[in-house]
Amino acid sequence: MPKVTYIEHGGASHEAEIAVGENVMRGALYNNVPGIAGECGGALSCATCRCFVDDAWVARVGGPATHEERELLEAAASLDTDEGPARRNVRLSCQISMTDDLDGLVVRLPAKQYA
Amino acid sequence: MTIDPAHPVPPVLPRYAGPNQIPPHIPKGLIRSIGLTTGAEFLASPHDFMAKLHEKQPPIFYDVNDFCNAWQIIKHEDALFALRHPEYFSNEGATPFPRDPDDYFYFIPIEIDPPQHRKYRNIVDPLFSPQGVLRLEGLIRQRARDLLDQFAGTGECEFTTAFGRPLPVSVFLDIMGLPQDMRDTFVQWAVDLLHSQDRETMGKAMRLISAYIKQAIAEKRAKPDDGVVSRIAHAAPDGIPLSDKEVFGFVIFLFIGGLDTVFATLNNIWLWLAQNPERCQEIINRPQDINAIVEELLRRWSVTFSGRVVAKDVELRGVKMKAGDRVTSILPACNFDPEVFPDPLKVDFDRPRKTILAFTVGVHSCMGGHLARLEVKIALQEWLSRIPQFAVKPGRKIEYRPGGVVGPKYLPLVW
Repeated sequence: MPKVTYIEHGGASHEAEIAVGENVMRGALYNNVPGIAGECGGALSCATCRCFVDDAWVARVGGPATHEERELLEAAASLDTDEGPARRNVRLSCQISMTDDLDGLVVRLPAKQYA
Repeated sequence: MTIDPAHPVPPVLPRYAGPNQIPPHIPKGLIRSIGLTTGAEFLASPHDFMAKLHEKQPPIFYDVNDFCNAWQIIKHEDALFALRHPEYFSNEGATPFPRDPDDYFYFIPIEIDPPQHRKYRNIVDPLFSPQGVLRLEGLIRQRARDLLDQFAGTGECEFTTAFGRPLPVSVFLDIMGLPQDMRDTFVQWAVDLLHSQDRETMGKAMRLISAYIKQAIAEKRAKPDDGVVSRIAHAAPDGIPLSDKEVFGFVIFLFIGGLDTVFATLNNIWLWLAQNPERCQEIINRPQDINAIVEELLRRWSVTFSGRVVAKDVELRGVKMKAGDRVTSILPACNFDPEVFPDPLKVDFDRPRKTILAFTVGVHSCMGGHLARLEVKIALQEWLSRIPQFAVKPGRKIEYRPGGVVGPKYLPLVW
């Protein structure tokens, strides 16, 4: 199965195998990776699974997939003001579906998913 | 205190009710008795009543009533905080559902706080995820069509019994792996248990449901299948099988949590559609926007409340709450917070995407939220393709059910 590396805000790194077709938010929940809440379960309602896609992977992952994702990310942007330049690659991890092409993906997690 | 889900014991938390049981730390100026879910003003028009709380009441107040005195939260921001901080606002002992103290069980996972909570969610989340419920789409659509076949040509129906109740019950039975010929029995049990307002009827329904579920669990243990009952019965997180009490508490929670809410939501939405035929046409004209339409309807017609118990003293918006206090988030009111949703009673399918509270937030966010969204979507699509315009039967007055799930009692429609 393809692997994803999650890097917590404090630097701790977690590698998880995620089945093709499963999303990056669920991969974190099933593998007890801290730093992703994924409250709404992928319904595009909560923006608590934000991640910052590593620069090397941005081209393959792409930007927000829908206007709902974009609106939720804009509404949550104030939570990430201290995150530095990585912030430009923010995505909802529930909207990143695993493919073999994404094997090795690296995402960074914000300090907090909600206030 | 951390509970042991495998060995349930009745909680010892105090429950205060009525004006003679108000703890001394509650400020006099914040005490109200608003008649939530039972008063005449609420029952006349529940959602309007809950929207007006923002004009009439302080953002946090302490409601005194015959059932359970509790702090009430109506601001969107405050509900997000309470629901996202189980270290202050616990679910243990917060579900006001009577159980036999000699055969006690926890409702799983809603009564279990983190970190134990996640192991239960991991058992069923794959089935209830957006991708998981999509596998059910064809089946749900067929169930909706079968129901419509029975009455679409007649020009009238009583919506709650013809469609609103049987659709979610049928889907529930499919998902759980239980036989469809139990549909009408389950409907009756749900009505008796949740709406009879009669202790004896409720008790009898609870005994019948319990016996049926225990037998179903035993059957699935012997003969596994793809249904949720079987999946829970055979679950072994970290290699440890769930106890009988855990399996039972999990299955019965899905029964109680899943049936009435979708039912009430459909009833509320269909009443509004019957009164607003131009909005039916708008929905028909915008098939590509169906997901946004469903989300807005769920915001506007949320049906329930979310209870917590204060685990340690906390101050919210300047209000001091003490450990043991009970707290209710009035979810429909939070969805009408004008600071978050301007002109909140207006149904606007083009609102920017924001967090709605129909399914709460936090770790206990409704696991059936995706299924509910899909059921509402399919119900709208299938109904409107057969019955594009309809009205409340002339001369019939709409009455609301008292209680914790808000919706009209009966909805006679004509077309």
